[in-house]
Amino acid sequence: MSRYLFRRTLEAIPTLLGTSVLIFALIHLIPGDATNAILGERATEEAAARIRALYGLDRPLTEQYFIWMGNLARGDFGETIRGGIPISLELSRRFPATAELALIALFLATLIGVPIGIISSIHRNSLLDAVSMFGALLGVSIPIFVLGLLLIFIFGVELEWLDFVGRIDNDISIPTITGFYLIDSLLQGNLRAFGNAAGHLILPALTLMTVPLATTARITRSTMLEVLGQDYIRTAHAKGLTRRAVIVGHGLRSAMLPIITIIGLQMGGLLSGAVLTETIFAWPGVGKWLFDSIVARDYPIVQNVTLLVAGIYILVNYLVDLLYAFADPRVRVAA
Amino acid sequence: MKRVISSVLFAVMLLAIAPALAQDGTTFTWGTFGNPVSLDSMNTTDGISFRVITQGCEGLLRFDKGTTNTLPNLATSWETSEDGLTWVFQIREGVSFHDGTPLNAEAVAWNFNRWGNTDHPEHFEEFIFTYYEYFYGGFDDESVIASVEATGEYEVTFTLNEANGVFLTNMAPTMTSIHSPTAVKEHGTAYGDPEVGFVCTGPYQFVEWLPDQRVVLESNPNYWRETEGNVDRVVFQVIPDNAARFAALRAGQIDGTEQINVEDLDAIEMDDSLAIQMRPPLNILYVAFNFRVVELQDARVRRAISMAFDREAIVEAFYPPGAVVAKTQVPPSLWGFNDDIPFEAYDPDGARALLAEAGYPDGFSTMTIVGADEDGNVTDEVVDQRPFTIWYQPVVRPYNPDGQAIGEAMASYLADIGIDATLETRDWGEFLQLGREGELFGIYQLGWSADTPDPDNFTGTFFINTTNPLPRSGWYQNPELDALLKTARTTSSQEAREPMYQQADQILHDDVARLWIAHTGVPLGFRSCIEGYYANPVAEYYSTVVNNCG
Repeated sequence: MSRYLFRRTLEAIPTLLGTSVLIFALIHLIPGDATNAILGERATEEAAARIRALYGLDRPLTEQYFIWMGNLARGDFGETIRGGIPISLELSRRFPATAELALIALFLATLIGVPIGIISSIHRNSLLDAVSMFGALLGVSIPIFVLGLLLIFIFGVELEWLDFVGRIDNDISIPTITGFYLIDSLLQGNLRAFGNAAGHLILPALTLMTVPLATTARITRSTMLEVLGQDYIRTAHAKGLTRRAVIVGHGLRSAMLPIITIIGLQMGGLLSGAVLTETIFAWPGVGKWLFDSIVARDYPIVQNVTLLVAGIYILVNYLVDLLYAFADPRVRVAA
Repeated sequence: MKRVISSVLFAVMLLAIAPALAQDGTTFTWGTFGNPVSLDSMNTTDGISFRVITQGCEGLLRFDKGTTNTLPNLATSWETSEDGLTWVFQIREGVSFHDGTPLNAEAVAWNFNRWGNTDHPEHFEEFIFTYYEYFYGGFDDESVIASVEATGEYEVTFTLNEANGVFLTNMAPTMTSIHSPTAVKEHGTAYGDPEVGFVCTGPYQFVEWLPDQRVVLESNPNYWRETEGNVDRVVFQVIPDNAARFAALRAGQIDGTEQINVEDLDAIEMDDSLAIQMRPPLNILYVAFNFRVVELQDARVRRAISMAFDREAIVEAFYPPGAVVAKTQVPPSLWGFNDDIPFEAYDPDGARALLAEAGYPDGFSTMTIVGADEDGNVTDEVVDQRPFTIWYQPVVRPYNPDGQAIGEAMASYLADIGIDATLETRDWGEFLQLGREGELFGIYQLGWSADTPDPDNFTGTFFINTTNPLPRSGWYQNPELDALLKTARTTSSQEAREPMYQQADQILHDDVARLWIAHTGVPLGFRSCIEGYYANPVAEYYSTVVNNCG
């Protein structure tokens, strides 16, 4: 097993290097550079040249790439060009915000999506199945900004039940331990902060969970349908096992691999930030930051954060593979 | 187990919807669409940063609430020599920075020297000082300011290389706010960052800045002046999405905001709990000609294009209430405006006749581009031929609410007189760069929002130095205009300067150098219980705000 882990870790290195070249090439292929974002519309060509020289933007691209790699090797993420703020500091603030929202959204999506998929598969072609799958289709189709704004107007403005601006009320401060407000508030025994943070999470998490929920439900349904048609399921029924034992113990267990895969992939996607959800709910996460940085050509942010996101993707896939081993003994034996 | 889970969920819901505990004092929360860049007023160029800094930092002068008139502020009085080369300011006594250090002449001189002298230890190379360069013509020897010295404990003397008509006005905007030398030295390049903020003399001092979340300021207990308002805590709440920000206003989570979607303005008018204020227009959307396009070198073609646009219909269709059709670059609310210049009437028949007279009876669909020599002079050498292009602005600006839609309207007006134009744009950064390099061939939309209430900030910005064609001015050349604007800039008296700017706008009109489209007021939305907010295009001070929301 440890050899398998070691091999997978080594495999990640060329993937990350390739990604770094790709990111670097793509962001530098877009015309213009950060000088416009820094100097604004009043910029003179002399001032622009000064900024380019200061940040090494006037050097050959290959040299710029190796300088970046060198800094990265020393663990130095550098500073944002616009504002000169250390990127590692910003990341330590923003990543927990994105991760907290993503984890809650995915947790809800799995909690609701898997049972919906199972129920649909058991009651195939029934009204229940049709309603569930129509709901799933709606979840995939409805634009995030429409859903987000609808939820804001209903639950935030008209009913005034839930907050929809940022992560927590301005008059509540939580000293940072993990950066996850739910955890930090509980660790400090601050129940008011916990409730407030949870209240702020509900609407963005509901918005963000729709697509993964729909995807998870549909994948679960189709996988379960395939599994439930297998001979060994019939055998299990014939052996007199309860319906529940057959579906959960034999059916779901076998269907778990594709479900885990799809949840893992979605996790990777969500952790890289959800630009629209973060924008609508003023959520100070990674997605909106990365988006703004691409517009401003703030290369250090774009390069380092995208690479980090790629790393997270690889890591999540890695964890999914490990989960395979737990879910499917054949994988363990093969490893 | 089920019971435990449901009890926990119920408790979370209860806690989530429990009203926040009442805070001490009165807060004014401004919903802002973006994040500040830096809170050092010379290390940024963006309006959001300036809005925050304005509440805590002050210059030698300030603007009167709701007007563009200047008033004494950190300077109590000033004198200038007859030749306009020496300015002596008396600095207010008994004022201290938020860190407790005293404001005196040394501190004022230190700020100007830091900004203007590139060898000053705190003229950090990572900082931009763009507005110093822009206000005073450059750094070191290039600057119009030859020296700034403390000539007494509370007396600062500025010596200029040449008289400058905008010098005094430039002491009022946020960019020339005086910061604590002690704080800048202590924090170095971290000064102005989220961890440090600003340390100045104004009515509010920095508390915290959480990027993409909020900036919090609280009242300065030692502020030197009585303030009119009752707000002792200011919060800038970042909500990037316009519709969500408007929802936050309706829900009472913010007290005021800007960049409201046009469709939401009607909702504000129908809602008694909300109110609109209009920030007066001090900006311009223009359409510039690129003079390296042969067809556009003919003034008759330029006039025909001007006559083809129905500006009133454009403003009516695409602009929020408060926008007006422009006939000059200087807006009507600013001194130096020339009301004698006529509006360009919408006259497609006249435009077609002019085009025919210029040799294009059937209009045109392509353009011929000529080169420029090393000095920037436009040559006769044909370098390219391309479809005639209208470049539209890719971003929303107060003066340009929908560049693409306005561009499409312009294309249809031109089609009506036989000019077949292609619409094009680029990413904003590239668009600006192409504009600076004179590479936007055809006609292009751009605009301007004033930094200071002075016509030099409009006309002078674009048309000084047009003895040699400037790429960023579309290669326009006019030595007469250049000389006039230079004289206006180096004349001290406003009375003497005013007719010069009026004449400059007349020259631009006669030459059809550019097309002026619209000046736009900016609608601001408030909760009705907010009073004492004075909308002002150059600076809005929250120390006058009275929050009666309870």
